[in-house]
Parts: sequence; C-alpha cells; structure tokens
Amino acid sequence: MSGERVELPAAVWAVAGFQLARLVTWPRLAMAAVGVAFPAGVMLAAGRAARGGLPSDVQVALLYALIPEAVCMLGLLVTMCPAVADELERGTWAHVATRPHGRRALLVGTWLAAVLWTGTVAIAATGLALAVAEVERPMAVGAMFAALVVLSCAGRAALFALPAVVLPKRALVASVGVALVVEYLAGTIPALVNQATVSLRLRSLLVHWMGWKRKLPTEMQLFIDPQPAWLHVLAVAVLTTVLLTVAIFILDRRQFPPSDEV
Amino acid sequence: MITLDHVTKLYGSVIGVNDVTVELGAGAHGLLGPNGAGKTTFLGLVTGQLRPTLGRVRVFGEPPFGHPRVLARIGYCPAADLLDRTTTPREWVRYLVRLAGFSAVAATTRADHALEQVGLTAAARRPLATLSKGMRQRAKLAGSIAHDPDLVVLDEPFNGLDPVARHDLVALVRGWATTRSLIVASHLLHEVEALDASLAVILGGRLVASGAAGEIRGLVDALPGEVTIRCAEPRRLAELAFRIGGVEGVRIDGDSVIVATHRPVAFVEEAAVRALDEGLHLAEIVPADRSLEGIFGHLVRLHRGVKA
Repeated sequence: MSGERVELPAAVWAVAGFQLARLVTWPRLAMAAVGVAFPAGVMLAAGRAARGGLPSDVQVALLYALIPEAVCMLGLLVTMCPAVADELERGTWAHVATRPHGRRALLVGTWLAAVLWTGTVAIAATGLALAVAEVERPMAVGAMFAALVVLSCAGRAALFALPAVVLPKRALVASVGVALVVEYLAGTIPALVNQATVSLRLRSLLVHWMGWKRKLPTEMQLFIDPQPAWLHVLAVAVLTTVLLTVAIFILDRRQFPPSDEV
Repeated sequence: MITLDHVTKLYGSVIGVNDVTVELGAGAHGLLGPNGAGKTTFLGLVTGQLRPTLGRVRVFGEPPFGHPRVLARIGYCPAADLLDRTTTPREWVRYLVRLAGFSAVAATTRADHALEQVGLTAAARRPLATLSKGMRQRAKLAGSIAHDPDLVVLDEPFNGLDPVARHDLVALVRGWATTRSLIVASHLLHEVEALDASLAVILGGRLVASGAAGEIRGLVDALPGEVTIRCAEPRRLAELAFRIGGVEGVRIDGDSVIVATHRPVAFVEEAAVRALDEGLHLAEIVPADRSLEGIFGHLVRLHRGVKA
C-alpha cells in the first residue's frame, strides 16, 4: 500500500482543491462577483465624472490601484488569513496536524487556493474593467495586468501567511496592519527596506512595462526601482519563497492546546 | 510501541500532564479519566500535535512531533465534532487520505472502503450538516482508519451517542483492535472495559493507576463507598456509625456525617434502624458515592498512599 503514496505534492493539491471547494458558497461567490464588478463600476463613474473622459495613462494608473492593489489585497485577506483559524474553528486542525505533511500541506495548499481564487477574480475584474474603459492597446494592458495580478497574489498571500500562523485568531486584523505598515509604509520609503516589499516591485514593473519612466517627475522616480523587469519578477519569487518558508517553519512548531480548538 | 518518560506538558502555568511515565506495547489500551483530567493532552503528545515541556515521548521508537514517518502510521479521531458542515463524509475522508500522501485514485478507493467499514456508505454523499451526531462520529472514525495506520488513537469516540449507536461503534472499534494497536480515551469505565483493553487511569494530569481491565475493576470495586447522613446530632450519629461493622472511616462535616464503608446498602439499613432505636432524627441519607469523580478521587488518594 505504501507504493501508492506520492507524499507532499499530493497533499498540497488535496488542500488546494479542498479549500477551493470550501470557497464555492453563495456568500463567497457574491463577494467574488462584487470584486469582479467593482473596478469596472469605478472606471465608469470616473469616466463620467471627468468631462471628455480620462486620459489612457490615468485610467491605467487607476486600474492599477483598483485591481493588483485593492481587489487582490481584499481577496487575499479573506482567503489566506484564516488558513489556520478556520481549521481551529471547524474542529479540523487536529485531523490535519496529525497527517504526515499536514501542516505544510495546509499552508502551501491554502496559499495556492488563495492565489488561484483571488487571481481569477482579479483577472476577470481586469477584463470587465478594460471592456468599459478606453485605454490604448487594451490587449497588451490586459496581459500586463494579468502578470501584475499573479505577482501581487503570490507575494501578498505569502506575506499574509505569517499573521495566519503567528496570530491565527487575530490574523485578519494583523494582516491589515502588515499590509499598511509593510506594503504601503515601508514600500514607499526610498531606502533599502522597500526592496523587500511587493508593492515596490509591482509599481516598478507598471512603470517599466508602460514606458512611463521618462514621463515621471524626478521626485516620483524615488518610489520606483529602475532595475530590469526580470529582476523584479525574480525578487517577488524570492520574497514569496522566503515568506512561505518562514511561515512553514513557524507552523511546523506551533502547538495549540485542546481548548483552542472549536 | 509508545513510551512516555517523565513527561510533563505545561500550557503557560496550567499543567496538561504531570510527570507521566508509561510504556504501552502493541494491543488495545484504554485511557480513563474524567473531563479535564489530561486525556486529550496525553493523546496530543502521542499523536504529534504537542511537544512535551519536559521528558521524552517516543512512538514506534521516534518522537512523533514533526516526524512524518511516525505520523503516517497513526490514525487519530479527535473528540471535537466536525463543524465542516458542507463537506460530505466521502469528500472528508478522501481529503484526509490524500493528506496522508495518497494519490487521488487511491484516496477515493480507500475512502469508500473505510466508509463501508463504518457503515456509512448510504450517507457518504450527504453534507455533514444533514447527518446525525452518530453518523458524523462514524465519518471521523472512517477518516482515522482509511490510510491503514498501525496505531489508531480515538478520543472519546462514543461521546454524545445514543445507546444503539454506542453499542454498534463499540463492536466496530473492538474489531479493529484485533488487527492494529488502539488507544481509546474515555471517561466511562464500562466503555473501555467493553474493548477488552488494558487500562491507564489519568487524573489531574497524573497517571494514577494502570493495569489490566480486571485489575482496575477490582481496584474500583474494592474502594469504599461514602454515605452521607444529615442529622441534628452528628456527634451521636458518628458514635453510632462506629459501632456498625464494616465501617472504614467516619468524619463530621457541619450537620453531616460522612461514612466510608465497603457495604453501603447494609450500613444504611442498619444505621436507620439503630438511629430510630436511639431516638436520633435523621434528616437525609445520601447513598454511597459511586460516581466516577468519587472513584477517581479514591484512586488519587490510593496513588498518594493515603488510606480512604
């Protein structure tokens, strides 16, 4: 029977599939629908408010704020943060923790599910928003946003994995704090500290791929990193790997007294 | 198979288990103790959910915490109810088998087989929320055996079940003990006795007694029962009680006299007649305390070397 075992990858896929199935409920689908429609609604409202319509670049900047930032962040907060807390509340933690790779599979599988679910919502939101907006080269902009969404989801889901394992019962509040302090405060400080943030990489990629570097005022150049695009992608991949590894290290050692469950 | 060597588990300043040393070989074992005694902590240490604060835990020769090789050989059924209500038993068990590292195809086959073993095939595709407590308990049990572990650990597996479901599950679990090792935690002596298991009694985080079921039953049966009699003249009643045979001890608590005796029924009958003869008015007679807490209390006193 032991020959049937394929170990960790099977367990990770099992968790990802199970978590995605848990997400398919009417309230979650309604939230996803709001996430898809919300950026398009804002684009329409902004277009009507501006006489003669918004310039294409402004629309792209607005889409960036709405989709890889707002939609991805909110989606990940509700899908990644409860990674451990949900198991404790549903009485399933003990079942998972006593499986050979249960803890690691839970974290990586939930991360994968969060990226797939939120990424799908954000990419659908991009498609709908581009349909109502009037940007130049919509296909190219769409492809760029798809890449930004994937990077945003992967990196930030890994970032939210830390509060999920350190403070499972306060993970949502802690993650909002982490998002504000790490991504939006440290990420905008033009110093070494912002190199370790996803927001710097995403902004820099947006500026690079849109060819905005020369158009940016000098003071705004401080908020981006002029390195090549592949380096930013690599940086997000490294950051994601490091954050997930630290979260796994912590979860592997976490102990929850029986009173913490249910 | 399982060795706990001077194991203490602390949750901050709260003691979960206290200096427990025990060796459990292959076979069926019952872990007996009232609620809050430390049974779940003991099982948490054995199943690798918890790491001892002091001492050493070994299962199959290795520490279970963080050792996938050991965990792959353990099947655990926790006491807590499954609150994942939209999932079906088939999805749940299949998920657990996949978490044990099996492929999707193998997991489906094993889940179906395990659900058949616990008699849940007909309800396997219904959401857990629509099932009775007994059916959810069967789903949990199926999840603990579907990956074919060498050791099955069950925490209060019969809790909250009606007598029929309890009888069925006891028979089912007793069958498992013939092919694999088993630890069953319960606060009910007769449940564990029904499994033909050796027993360990835990109270206040300490192991207070262990041995074959017959030995523990003998120990329990040998314990004196306590009869409490309320009376306006407790001192006179205490003197009277001492004159009745078979009395192990008498103490006065306010207007109550508490008598420890091995034959409580005979004592009550005789005390009532003699009290009437001597003009003592008895306000209340509370029968012998044979409750589990009472029995455990006596076992603790025995463990500490105090005569009951």
